Amino acid sequence: MQLKVTAFIGIGVGGALLLSSFFGLFGERVDFNTQVKPLLNKNCIACHGGVKKAGGFSVLFRHEAVAPTKSGKPAIVPGDADASEMIRRLTLEDHTERMPLEAAPLKPEDIALLRKWIDQGADWGDHWAYTRVEKPDVPLLGTFWSRLGLSENVEQKWVKNDIDHFTLQKMKEQSLPPSPEADRVTLLRRVSLDLTGLPPTEQEVANFSNDKSANAYEKAVDHLLASPAYGERWTALWLDLARYADTKGYERDTERKIWRYRDWVINAFNQDKPYSQFVVEQLAGDLLPNRTDAQLIATGFHRNTMTNDEGGTQDEEFRTAAVIDRVNTTWEVFQGTTFACVQCHSHPYDPFTHDEYYKYLAFFNNTRDEDVTTDTPTLRFFEDQDSVQVEALKTWLTTHHTQPKQAQGWVNFVRLTEPKINSHHFDQYINASLLDAKYFGVQDGGSTRIKTVNLTGINRFIMAVGTKAENAVLTVHQDSPTGPSLLTIPVLNTGNKGKDTVMVCALPQITGQHPVYLTLSNPKQPKEWVQIKWVSFRPALPGTSATTLGDMDTKLQAILNAKPESTPVLVEATGDMVRKTHVFERGNWLVRGKQVQPDVPKSLPLLPTDSMGKTVPRNRLGLAQWMVQREHPLTARVAVNRFWEQLFGTGLVETVEDMGTQGIQPTHRELLDYLAAEFMDTDHWSMKQLLKRIVTSATYRQQSVASPELIAKDPFNTWLARGPRVRLTAEQVRDQALAVSGLLSHKRLGPSVKPIQPDGIWQSPYNGESWKRSEGEDQYRRAIYTYWKRTAPYPSMTTFDSPSREFCQVRRIRTNTPLQALVTLNDPVFIESAQSLAMLMQQRGKTPEQQIRAGFRQVTQRDASPQKIAVLLKLYQQSATYYEQHPADTQAFLGGTDATPQVAALTVTANTLLNLDETITKE
Amino acid sequence: MKKLIDELQQTALQRETRRHFLHTCSTGLGAMALGSFLESCGFAGKAADNKASSIITPGNPNDSPMAVRSTQFPGKAKRVIYIHMAGSPSQLELFDYKPELVKYDGKDCPQELLTGKKFAFIRGVPKMLGPQGKFAQHGQSGAWVSDYLPHLQGVVDDITFLKAMHTDQFNHAPAQLLMHTGSARLGRPSIGSWVTYGLGSENDNLPGYIVLASGGKQPDAGKSVWGSGFLPSVYQGVQCRTDGDPVLYASDPVGMPRSLRGKTIEAISAINQQQYNDVKDPEILTRIAQYELAYRMQMSVPDSMDIKGEPQYILDMYGVDPNQGSFARNCLLARRLVERGVRFVQLFDWGWDTHGTSSDGSIDVGLHDKCRQSDQAVAALLKDLKQRGLLDDTLVVWGGEFGRTPMQENRDGQTLPFMGRDHHLDAFTVWIAGGGVKKGFSFGETDDIGYYGVKDKVHVHDLQATILHLLGFDHEKLTYQFQGRPFRLTDVAGKVVKPILA
Repeated sequence: MQLKVTAFIGIGVGGALLLSSFFGLFGERVDFNTQVKPLLNKNCIACHGGVKKAGGFSVLFRHEAVAPTKSGKPAIVPGDADASEMIRRLTLEDHTERMPLEAAPLKPEDIALLRKWIDQGADWGDHWAYTRVEKPDVPLLGTFWSRLGLSENVEQKWVKNDIDHFTLQKMKEQSLPPSPEADRVTLLRRVSLDLTGLPPTEQEVANFSNDKSANAYEKAVDHLLASPAYGERWTALWLDLARYADTKGYERDTERKIWRYRDWVINAFNQDKPYSQFVVEQLAGDLLPNRTDAQLIATGFHRNTMTNDEGGTQDEEFRTAAVIDRVNTTWEVFQGTTFACVQCHSHPYDPFTHDEYYKYLAFFNNTRDEDVTTDTPTLRFFEDQDSVQVEALKTWLTTHHTQPKQAQGWVNFVRLTEPKINSHHFDQYINASLLDAKYFGVQDGGSTRIKTVNLTGINRFIMAVGTKAENAVLTVHQDSPTGPSLLTIPVLNTGNKGKDTVMVCALPQITGQHPVYLTLSNPKQPKEWVQIKWVSFRPALPGTSATTLGDMDTKLQAILNAKPESTPVLVEATGDMVRKTHVFERGNWLVRGKQVQPDVPKSLPLLPTDSMGKTVPRNRLGLAQWMVQREHPLTARVAVNRFWEQLFGTGLVETVEDMGTQGIQPTHRELLDYLAAEFMDTDHWSMKQLLKRIVTSATYRQQSVASPELIAKDPFNTWLARGPRVRLTAEQVRDQALAVSGLLSHKRLGPSVKPIQPDGIWQSPYNGESWKRSEGEDQYRRAIYTYWKRTAPYPSMTTFDSPSREFCQVRRIRTNTPLQALVTLNDPVFIESAQSLAMLMQQRGKTPEQQIRAGFRQVTQRDASPQKIAVLLKLYQQSATYYEQHPADTQAFLGGTDATPQVAALTVTANTLLNLDETITKE
Repeated sequence: MKKLIDELQQTALQRETRRHFLHTCSTGLGAMALGSFLESCGFAGKAADNKASSIITPGNPNDSPMAVRSTQFPGKAKRVIYIHMAGSPSQLELFDYKPELVKYDGKDCPQELLTGKKFAFIRGVPKMLGPQGKFAQHGQSGAWVSDYLPHLQGVVDDITFLKAMHTDQFNHAPAQLLMHTGSARLGRPSIGSWVTYGLGSENDNLPGYIVLASGGKQPDAGKSVWGSGFLPSVYQGVQCRTDGDPVLYASDPVGMPRSLRGKTIEAISAINQQQYNDVKDPEILTRIAQYELAYRMQMSVPDSMDIKGEPQYILDMYGVDPNQGSFARNCLLARRLVERGVRFVQLFDWGWDTHGTSSDGSIDVGLHDKCRQSDQAVAALLKDLKQRGLLDDTLVVWGGEFGRTPMQENRDGQTLPFMGRDHHLDAFTVWIAGGGVKKGFSFGETDDIGYYGVKDKVHVHDLQATILHLLGFDHEKLTYQFQGRPFRLTDVAGKVVKPILA
């Protein structure tokens, strides 16, 4: 095209110039977003935008575009295209000056458009996705008479709800007629897989097929939405976004127990927690007033960032990397905006500046997690005797009239072991080292400093310490290593420096801020290390002696030494521990620029105010509340687009991760806004209501069968004139095979499990962890319960396109590869499923043909055509003949007692059934 | 069935891929007619010769993501064998001869070398450590190689040594990631994925990008060093295992003969074909083709991995025990794979991390062992490729993820039981041979103690840019759109090292 156009340029430009002035005055107004911005993004912004401002000219913001450039005068003069240098440069003959440089010139009609836009005043517009969600009018269908109910209309007969008005309008524009509704069984299978991730059971198929009532489908949908499998299905999606894994990532990739977060997500979906609340609890559950354990567990969303335990790595570098990941993930998941590029420079295309990235990062940069190997802070779940002790402590606090805030502080301390100072913050080492770059270690005669501690009201020094030294003595000094000695602690021999014990010690009364020094004396074993993981300075428990340890201190020490199960959570830093945030120059964490305060980008709404007119707090909670306010343009749009994508295979905005100006334009923008508005205003953020709205539409219920003409006209079903036809996800492929073969366990929640996996998948260096196959029904749980190791995920999952979960991946790109075929053909999970399915088939028919019919029905829920039965029967017979002649193979293939040639042949047939396109595809 | 495959239509993936190809080319070239457009971007398939079918038309069998694509300009190399010694061998014992360092052996490291430096394990003031190998010059080119590598001494005239390599990362996992993905953080595509994305595969029955690991462990950075990152997953490296199935699930279940597997594939295809006739979804045709490819791969992968047919003199040349997985066997397999048209073969050998904390992890004992286990095979691989005429268009790269310090490691301030060196990012040696690079050449110099590069330094990104250049790609133009911006292997850096080009 461009080549031909270039040939016409000589003739074209002159005429276009004349015409453009004419249209500039009298023509329709040019729309910045749809007409101008795409041209600027494509041709100009790489050199004149957020990254480079060549010649001092940028077209990212209007105030930049109309400002004087390096030459001293502006390149765009609003209202006067002729005086605008930009237009002159676009139309020059001289290639060294003509814009865009070293590229083809703009088409005459594009230049004409830009002229017209400048003549009309060079108005800027906000990108559609950054403007408030307004509910659009639902397009009218049918005729005047049919709308009055006075005549029949084919359009009105087809539609089921408002969604269909929008899609049908687009179909009409494309001259595509809608498809009829899919047959009942296909539809039920589709909606079951979509809502619960599992195929319908025989009973569900029968119920739906026999239900002749008008709302039979709606009832089926309600039944599916109420099923506990619903939460499991949608959690599978959410775990990619949360980059959930059972290991910490990076080189060592050791275990992290954070499955309670996964369970929280399942429960949240099943309880239909409003999406707004779903967002707030995950981002800021720890900051909610009277927070519950569940709300704390929800913050595991952002504790799924990787931590690096490799020897020699700096905790601060990887803490920073985790915070940056939280920022980028928050934007991608909740705001459909790629923010990562703003880490290094202003956004090249979208209205976000470099400083705004760090203002936003400041919201996340104040949590207590610091890339420490223990994954602290974690919420501890005391059991048995430990929980009795904790209750006794709470009772003590109550009977001693502790202030509620102070009492909560103590409960937090035993549940979260916070606040504490991690030993990597110690400095001024003498005869000391940060061992393996993780924890502070000191030898005889050594010392270190804790930079500054407010000792007012402090009477307890609590420390996690380990050593195999016999008689090491640690002394706590005030102000200098030789300063007044506050406390002398004989360090317990724990047998190993890495095995620590928590010691509670009494400190004398001191006031004010002081540097605190620790010195070690261990003359008999001068090379033996004493390693400290953390210390904490606290007041004495209410009702105990300030200066001497008592019974309650012993009990407190016992509780702190308990090793209960725990899960990582976010804990906000307060007081002296509050972190400052600086801009990182060009994204380099080592080069700190100016300090910034938490804030949201200017191109989006301000932080909201409460009913008293008070702005929400500038912390994660305020940020989360900002995100879910009605005024926020992105949150609801992004959410509904994601749900749409899950159901139809492609989002209304295909780039689910990017609704910005570089994302792919929406196919049905009004529909997206309609759904977003309804989601907020009518459904009150109910995800189940939203899903029901979509799956009950005629658009969703269409058959996916297409004519070659329709495929040719709309190969990717952009215009939704047929139903979705999409391969199942990795989770669904596995879960379905187990379900239809009767193997699937319905056990829910709890620690992750290890189903059968080939040897040699796990090979982490420096890590003795091994894959020990789970026993009993735990081998047949749904895929979301499979143990997820980041550096070596479960093979069939990644083969079917799941990400490694090292980072948030908003969209799985579906592939179709031979390795996938090998999984469903030969993976023992699928062979076992085939064997189990064969037994079911045998029970359900007398003749091979009956058995095959039953098997086909079991797998696809529908009856096979005679041709397909014929193919399968022939395969069965060939297999039976082979196994009759090879009894040893029969035995080897099946094992066990039922090893007959017939069962072997049925197993081969079942293996085939599980591999059919129509089996692994949602039709 | 051939006909079916010929009918093969666009899949969602191809669409995805093509969109990105289009994006890749859209800047600078404008929107030309699509057929020639792709061709000029270097992404026209075999179909480019056959003007009848436009790339964009659904139904073009050559538009598969693995179709052979021509490059941006003619490349000298057509395939790569990348040998990564995970853990990082000591350049000071092998290639970078520093007689001056002998003088300082056992002396305290001068403070000026330590000020402002961070090490992975060295604490306080370490002692300097002289070279442990005996060095001599070899070949016509007079390349310095120590007695740790007697076999390599014989092939130096085919090699270019890059002696002033440097990196940004001094820990294994991030440094390996930087070396293979251009970024120290996880999530970027590996160089093999980029190459396969750019070139496609020459063999329909084998994966285009194959990984072989030895040394008992995976590299520290795990599978991410051959991951496809944000590129479609078809471009990820397929690890062929040395035990069990070479490709996961390539073996049919016990008790299912090959003939029956063939019949199941036929049945699956026949039913899928009927389904296609009913619903007309082109994805079904792709699936039929992929099942047939899977069936062929079940044979071709084990066949290419089976060295039993190799003559004894070849086994002897490499020093291979045919019954045991080893680095040597992987070298031989690498040759077999490139012979069969595999584009990128990545060898990882674990166990080169020589801190001096144990006998295995030391330069006085462990490094000798690792060299003994690998030297003969590496030299044999070069000779074997050469005698088959493959070295002219096959690039062989050898190196670790960083270098090692001229100081002896004193982990946690203590004297270690064996001789060892800590991780070092400022100087190390990588060598490169074959397709398009100079023979018998040495590029770059370090200072007298091998601490810093002082002349012709080559950064990891420069090496990557050079490898892509040799394959026919401008590293700045081989890009993929992700998270709102085009990404490339070399991030925002990288310069082609022109002086080493033949």
